[in-house]
Amino acid sequence: MTSCIKPNAWVALKLPSGTTKVLQVTPNTTISLGKYGCFPSNLIIGRPYHVTFELQDRLPGENFSRLRVVPASELYEEVFAEEEATESSSAPAVTGGSNTTSACDTVITSTDGEEFSLVDEKGNVVVRSTREVLDDRARQTLTQAEIEELKKKGSNAGKDVIAKLLLSHTALNEKTSFSLAKYKLLKTKKYIRRFQVLPLDVANFATWQLEERDASKIMDLRAEMLGLVGCWANVHYGGEDVYLEDPKARTDQGEEALVPLEKDRLRGRWLVVDDTGGLLVAAMAERMGILYPLEEEEGESKPEATTSIPTEQTPTATSQQPPKDTDTEMTDAQILSSKPEKKPKQPKPRPSDFAIPYSQSNTLTVIHSASQPNLSFLTYWGFDATSPNHPPHPLLNHLLTLTWLQLLKPELDTSYSTPPLTATQETLNSWKPSRRGNFHRKRRRFARIRHIVDATRAGGFNGLVCASTMDPISILKHTLPLLAGGAPVAIYSPTIEPLAALADCFSVPRRTAWTSGSVPEVQGLSAAELERWEGNERFPLNPTLLQGVSIQTSRARRWQVLPSRTHPLMTERGGADGYVFTAWRAKPAEGRVEAKGRFKKRKVECAEGSKAEVAGTPASSA
Amino acid sequence: MAQTIQHEISPFLDPGPRTKANSLAILQLSRDNLLPVYLQPPTGEVDGYAEGAVVNTRYGSFPHSTMIDVPWGSQIRASKVDTGSRGRKRKREATTDVEGVSREGTAAGATNEQDNEASVTANNSGSATPASVAPTVKQAIADTSGFIHILPPTPEVWTSSLPHRTQVVYTPDYSYILHRIRARPGTVLIEAGAGSGSFTHAAVRAVYNGYPREGEKRRRGKVYSFEYHEERYHKMKQEIKDHGLTGLVQLTHRDVYKGGFLVDEGKSPEADAVFLDLPAPWEALPHLSRRKPRGFDVGEEGKKWVSPLNPKKSVYLCTFSPCIEQVQKTVSMMRRLGWVDIDMVEIANRKYHASRDRVGLHLNFDRGVNNSPKDVEEALKRLTEIEERTRQHAARAREGGDGDVEMESGDEGDVAVKLEDTAAEQPQESSSSSVAPWLEGRLITRGEPEIKTHTSYLVFAVLPREWTEEDEAAAAAMYPLGKEQKVIGAVDKQLRKQERREQLQQKSGGNSRKERRKQRDEKIGQECAPMAEES
Repeated sequence: MTSCIKPNAWVALKLPSGTTKVLQVTPNTTISLGKYGCFPSNLIIGRPYHVTFELQDRLPGENFSRLRVVPASELYEEVFAEEEATESSSAPAVTGGSNTTSACDTVITSTDGEEFSLVDEKGNVVVRSTREVLDDRARQTLTQAEIEELKKKGSNAGKDVIAKLLLSHTALNEKTSFSLAKYKLLKTKKYIRRFQVLPLDVANFATWQLEERDASKIMDLRAEMLGLVGCWANVHYGGEDVYLEDPKARTDQGEEALVPLEKDRLRGRWLVVDDTGGLLVAAMAERMGILYPLEEEEGESKPEATTSIPTEQTPTATSQQPPKDTDTEMTDAQILSSKPEKKPKQPKPRPSDFAIPYSQSNTLTVIHSASQPNLSFLTYWGFDATSPNHPPHPLLNHLLTLTWLQLLKPELDTSYSTPPLTATQETLNSWKPSRRGNFHRKRRRFARIRHIVDATRAGGFNGLVCASTMDPISILKHTLPLLAGGAPVAIYSPTIEPLAALADCFSVPRRTAWTSGSVPEVQGLSAAELERWEGNERFPLNPTLLQGVSIQTSRARRWQVLPSRTHPLMTERGGADGYVFTAWRAKPAEGRVEAKGRFKKRKVECAEGSKAEVAGTPASSA
Repeated sequence: MAQTIQHEISPFLDPGPRTKANSLAILQLSRDNLLPVYLQPPTGEVDGYAEGAVVNTRYGSFPHSTMIDVPWGSQIRASKVDTGSRGRKRKREATTDVEGVSREGTAAGATNEQDNEASVTANNSGSATPASVAPTVKQAIADTSGFIHILPPTPEVWTSSLPHRTQVVYTPDYSYILHRIRARPGTVLIEAGAGSGSFTHAAVRAVYNGYPREGEKRRRGKVYSFEYHEERYHKMKQEIKDHGLTGLVQLTHRDVYKGGFLVDEGKSPEADAVFLDLPAPWEALPHLSRRKPRGFDVGEEGKKWVSPLNPKKSVYLCTFSPCIEQVQKTVSMMRRLGWVDIDMVEIANRKYHASRDRVGLHLNFDRGVNNSPKDVEEALKRLTEIEERTRQHAARAREGGDGDVEMESGDEGDVAVKLEDTAAEQPQESSSSSVAPWLEGRLITRGEPEIKTHTSYLVFAVLPREWTEEDEAAAAAMYPLGKEQKVIGAVDKQLRKQERREQLQQKSGGNSRKERRKQRDEKIGQECAPMAEES
């Protein structure tokens, strides 16, 4: 992603308390961190990510804090001191004086073995801990009012408060090294005025949404699951952009002028069913390189625009700049009005209404159940699916969305089945600009929807990724025929039950019964018909269409790594574990196929069993 | 097509719609039994087979000719192949096939260790010239039974089909690692310890955004891989070539502890992400610094320090170590070298198998069926039946008069036989009237019999870019202070109230809804404008 914090970028501010604040850094504003203080946004814009900033004490006459970059040596000084102490404890007669790495800070170090001591700035030991067991009663002698007072005039980024608190604790020298370290950490979290700026990429966004916002909105999709789903579905950059030629349809031409679908050019396409508000789409788009604008291209395109635009009258090259998707009523008027103002530049030939703005390769096709896709989280990456006049974004040319109705019964969908408006140039010229704009907008929308629906129904997708609240069996029923042979399927579910039911559709007994040729319903059907078989109660799906069915889950267990205090974290987030179903699309051979080997005998039995059962069905129903 | 394809795109990145000759394919023999094979065009008799190269498995024999130019994912029927006479003849002839380790050999030889039941006949004999062999290839005849599926290669299937050459980084680990170290199209990634190549393949897929072209300025995603073990280096080198990954992976034979990570004679790869699968990552870490670290013997004497990292971005790092002591040393070194956000995790992955738990008295005596009562009602019913019969029998015995001990015991056996009879009769009745056999029982999920409880500890860290006084001064000049208008972020009650009050005051000056909308539109315009400028 970006090398430094850009104006108006969405970022995640990590606070010492462990909480994350997600906001858009608007230039010329003040960012408030609550009790930790506030600072002008211009102090972090243009600065690098991941460095730790410290809010400095307010200068006289300023009502905000200036920032200081905390070097890593200072961040870890306590750990270093501990490490040195443990090393030096084996070699005796080394006092705590040398332990302080920075002279101006009060540091807790351990001077001998596991014991801790509080060292002041000159290196004198102020307090020393013993190994006596500490009782839990609070023995902080400072009152709340005094602490508040300290905080107000508190200087040195909260470090003074922490030191005072520690010193005022009567039982400090009774604390064991571990409880002392814990106490210090607790107070540090509360009072130290530091923060870090993280880029809001998919990983950081997902963590924030999962742990601090509403995990149910993203279906408890953890980082491990995002990684697994993406890898098992083999989602990656799907090749260079390929655009269809502009048909140069005249305004009086209808459907017949549409660009014909070219199946051979459709490459690197993935199907997505997303009920996580767009997080899954964002994660997949990130893997395909279409979520963030390319930095290098940014740099290159700027000078290009200022110099000269190659005036190509006949855009025959297939991989050229995508036709601009200007979908506003006022485009005509704008162009007309802007003409006299600018230099007499050759205007870019505008694509005709039926030009397809979408790339034929490296695309995501989202099938959604509402009339509009819910991809609201994509706004964090500067993409708004509903915006009519969108600034350039890679997703514009690579994200295709359609409803289940458009996929399964396009003839019932008005926008698909209504033929486009037509008008001659003369009639058009007589219209008001707004009416003309509307006319063009409708024609463009028609061409786009036609293209999306026809391309999706043509199938040949390279994989299916799914995180949906809908029954996965019903999703697969309609999407399996659209997958190319060998294409992977990866379905996420927060709970295992829907996936188990799905895996059961491909169980060995069911598959055997199907291939043994004893299912009367499918006798005499061709391979193509079997692929699109609508299923029944006993066979919800054609069990031969998937191979290598497997369900798995993954969990990352986090550890604390500190000198002589390394162990797994005591608590972690619970809730839904999350499971992933994986398989590959198979192309079953035509006709009856028998397995070889020692299973043969059993299979015959099975087949007979199902025959008997089939024979019995009419009798029982009669 | 006007596309300019300089390289043959790797089958891992774009396998195309159908299988191709001289390309890698993965044969799926059974659920977890995968076999990598380089498909060979049928040129004549190979290794004694009239059909050309043949893969022999316990599921039948599969001539390559039956697997070329079929759609991926196809189910392939076994063929009738004469394996008997060939073997004997071959033994006598076998002389010169030691030379010429072909690609087939590497893939097939490795799999023999993994599954000794699946023996692969490889075309090791590069000496067999086509001229000496009759050019006619025998048409394969389909067998009556046996089949496999043919899958396109992906890092996942490749990883699961890998023999255990060294420690393999499996999918649960590498999928998480690549997600965390932000390996995306365009990323330049350093990998040290190429090992078995499982991570390399996954990493290439993640960073791939097109093959590099002559004279092109744009930096494309690439993996710089380092391997110390010579034999593994050569094996990997061959693999990269065979898999069409040349130009995307640059493999270097080097001890990175001593030699560092610079490539092409002292040039920086400018990496954005690093993955270290080394026994002592802390010895390699000093090389991954932005400035020459003090107190370490790194970089070349007297030469200017060149950092292998991208100077303009935060660099993400992951190390992969099985032992906790390694982790402690690594983390300690990371802290000293200025890495931040150090985070250690361990991945636990579990696979589940969905099946039917079939318990019940009325079920078939089939394998995996538990013929005990499925619930208390069924148990009660059976007990009542037994009780009833015993009572009837006792009554009959009493009617018979003389109660002989031997007779009684014999009768009891009779009862048992009768009961069994009814149990055997029942299944036929019920199965014909109720559900299909694959729908019987409760659907359950069960973990795999053996689980990997520990693979390795993953340590993640980030090294922010360097930030000097000059940089700060430049940034401060570009974004001057003093024009702050609004407060964003955590706004406390007081402040919010004050803002609201100000707003209301403004509004009281006769502001209508229209004007407010205008204001809002202006604001949106401001927000959108920079976005449009940027791109």
